[in-house]
Amino acid sequence: MAVDSRRFFDDIQVGEEYESPGRTVTETDIVIFAGLSGDYNILHTDAEFMKSSIFGERIAHGLLGLAIQAGLFTRAGQPYATLAFVGLRWKFKGPIKIGDTIRVRGKVTAKKETSKPDRGLVTVERTVLNQRDEVVQEGETDLMVERRPGR
Amino acid sequence: MAQPSRFYFEDVGLHDVLETPAMTITEAHVTMYAGLTHDEPAEPGAVPEILPLCLTTGLGWRVPQPPLAVLAFMGFEWNVVLPVRVGDTIFSRSRTAAKRSMREGGVVIEEREVINQRGEIVHKGKFTFLVAKKPA
Repeated sequence: MAVDSRRFFDDIQVGEEYESPGRTVTETDIVIFAGLSGDYNILHTDAEFMKSSIFGERIAHGLLGLAIQAGLFTRAGQPYATLAFVGLRWKFKGPIKIGDTIRVRGKVTAKKETSKPDRGLVTVERTVLNQRDEVVQEGETDLMVERRPGR
Repeated sequence: MAQPSRFYFEDVGLHDVLETPAMTITEAHVTMYAGLTHDEPAEPGAVPEILPLCLTTGLGWRVPQPPLAVLAFMGFEWNVVLPVRVGDTIFSRSRTAAKRSMREGGVVIEEREVINQRGEIVHKGKFTFLVAKKPA
């Protein structure tokens, strides 16, 4: 069997920081996300209407940015032995426009043991930045992570 | 040109409850979502936790009321109560918890629950939207 290279609750240290590769958000991403989610809000789908908006053009769905950072985070370092995503507190600070390249920075801010001996809660503060280093989204995510078996 | 029908800040009633139609989450949804975002399911049959949230947003477009005139989605908090599996059928129930008028539009706070085919609340949270006022 392949060696389990996932990082367990016991391996993760408060204060650890990660940075993901970048990803350019395209018109295709937005169109596919609208089709998948059924969220056809004019903010994301009506190029003509958006010319006269404060953004000047279509912007990506906030939840698309959130989902893309979740994918980028898995490429930001050695993956955790995550059992479940438990919750988040999230703010949308600025628009993600077509052609913007976003990346995520993460920092472990807390670790908490739970009533179950085989798992622990890890809180990661995340910042999503664009190519101009402007913060477009930020928040905290709580992950339930396995403890090292037979530690 | 006809203006699209939209639901403005003034139209939002405090404590109004809105239930969406339901939708079965399939392997196709998970595959498309994972391909688009690279946010992968933890194991076969699992549904990435952000996906039901995305789908309920779209389900909110299938209710007999025009879409909320959202100027900006400001933020939200979200709790995963129970796992969602492929084959589960979910819908959402939301309630306007607070509204506050601002100079440009108004802030609407919505509580949302995602409920499965057994009536269990699987996810729940609170959303903050900046919503346009009716054009003068």
